[in-house]
Amino acid sequence: MTETHVYTCRYCRHASDPTARSCVRCGAPVDVRAAVSTSGWQRQEPITDMARIQFGQSYVQVEGVQVPVADFALANGDRIYFSHHSLLWTDPSTRLTNMGLSGGWKRVMGGLPLFMVEAHGPGHVALSDNHAGDLVCLPLDHGQQIWVREHRFVAATGNISYDWTSTGVWYTTRSGDETETHYPLGRFGDVFTAREAPGLLMLHGPGNTFVRDLAPNEPLLIQPSALLYRDLSVGTHLHLEYPRGSGGFFLSSYSYRNVWLRLVGPGRVAVTSVTEHPEQSNRIVRSSYATSWRW
Amino acid sequence: MERIACEWCRVQNPPGSTTCQTCGAPLDERNKVSDSGWREAPRLRDMTEFRFSGSVCQVEGELVPVAELALAPNDWVYFEHHVMLWKDERVPLSQMQTGGGFRRMFAGMPFVLSVASGPGRIAFSRDAPGELVVLPMPPGVEIDVREHAFLLAAGSVSYSFVRIKGLANILHGGNGMYLDRFITQQYPGMLMLHGNGNVLERTLRPGEKILVEPGGLLYKDASVQMQAVQQDLKVGLVRKLYLAEMTGPGRVGIQSMYVHHRTG
Repeated sequence: MTETHVYTCRYCRHASDPTARSCVRCGAPVDVRAAVSTSGWQRQEPITDMARIQFGQSYVQVEGVQVPVADFALANGDRIYFSHHSLLWTDPSTRLTNMGLSGGWKRVMGGLPLFMVEAHGPGHVALSDNHAGDLVCLPLDHGQQIWVREHRFVAATGNISYDWTSTGVWYTTRSGDETETHYPLGRFGDVFTAREAPGLLMLHGPGNTFVRDLAPNEPLLIQPSALLYRDLSVGTHLHLEYPRGSGGFFLSSYSYRNVWLRLVGPGRVAVTSVTEHPEQSNRIVRSSYATSWRW
Repeated sequence: MERIACEWCRVQNPPGSTTCQTCGAPLDERNKVSDSGWREAPRLRDMTEFRFSGSVCQVEGELVPVAELALAPNDWVYFEHHVMLWKDERVPLSQMQTGGGFRRMFAGMPFVLSVASGPGRIAFSRDAPGELVVLPMPPGVEIDVREHAFLLAAGSVSYSFVRIKGLANILHGGNGMYLDRFITQQYPGMLMLHGNGNVLERTLRPGEKILVEPGGLLYKDASVQMQAVQQDLKVGLVRKLYLAEMTGPGRVGIQSMYVHHRTG
């Protein structure tokens, strides 16, 4: 009698083949021990070089490790969409078209180009990002949604719809008579939904990527620009922290304040190790809902 | 015991070798070739050594690797001066005229190349994460390299540059007006490039075509024809997408992290 093992990929949370070298749904290696920090962060293992990820009748092969290339082999009738900035090479036989302008306003608001490109199979088309980091593949089940930070999108299968949403995370600073509004998480985020069937979403995380599953009401503070994606069940708001002893003649309490993004479970969050420098600080006069702490 | 053929540069190595003595490629790892026919350039192991002419090159680091040369007497290499990382005090530097004058200046290419002569040590690196690509050149080979991508070339390799023909290439191809051209005549030579990100190579059959983002091109055999072709794709309200159509026969090398040029 043959014993049947049920294997759930710890990265994409889908049933997968335990005998394969890499998960057929997301490309993560199967045969490695999870690298989990004592605090609970799990390293998103880079997709194995030359791993194939199946979607529909098509697949994508990931080549390289430093700035990996996603080489899509599209079957007849399958399509993906992406920004032309990501295009590295294509077969002449692969049909490239512009996406319809419907939804263009959403794309512009969400930080995506107005003119997106669709590649239609059969044929090959290859994409890469311009930064060292990881490609992250997220297979989405029918009806599943995921929130993604703007400018992290690489490609999605044609059946994944795109929408944008306001992040609702902002603060206004004042310097003299001038006020400025800051959006540490970006003004808008992207929401991808697998509408009619399962689909594949591909992101690029600069540096290394780490994931963590938050328990209900479990809070966590992160650098806002580190967030790569999150389940929609994870709440987000600002948290302002003022270290003790930072007052004085030259130093105001806001000079050393920290602007955190406070995440509240339940759900999965992913962060990248490369972040953007926080903007220069002035006194915060207004903000979206924020918790605060003074040491 | 049988000698081991390097799958990257085709040179035979003594039995038991773990890295190629001519290009530094690991000999104990399988070639990584995608289903679409792209072969990954070999990732040179930290501290790998290989030889060219009477000199030795040692590769140090992996993220932004350094090429450290121990130049033999009478050996020399040339390079763009800003890629020098350090050198022995006694290694003399000189200059090599490239010709081209103002035409090169308008194309953003250097007027002169620097020359370092042995004996002594000198090291080179570029300033972006990527890979060193070692291309040993048998006699009679011509290779075109995108501007500012070559790290160094041995003195036995002739240097020139080529203007990419065709108005569309100049205005829209995004690869500048010139490619560096490296030629070996009766003697072999060695050319070393720095590719941003990962480097992939594919050999095109005669007449076979692929379309490449111009910023992604790293090198090609001179036999590969390159032409900018407008695609029926909008990338702005009035701009359209241009891709470089590469037509075989010959090798095409691309880099996965590239400068995205204006495309129309």
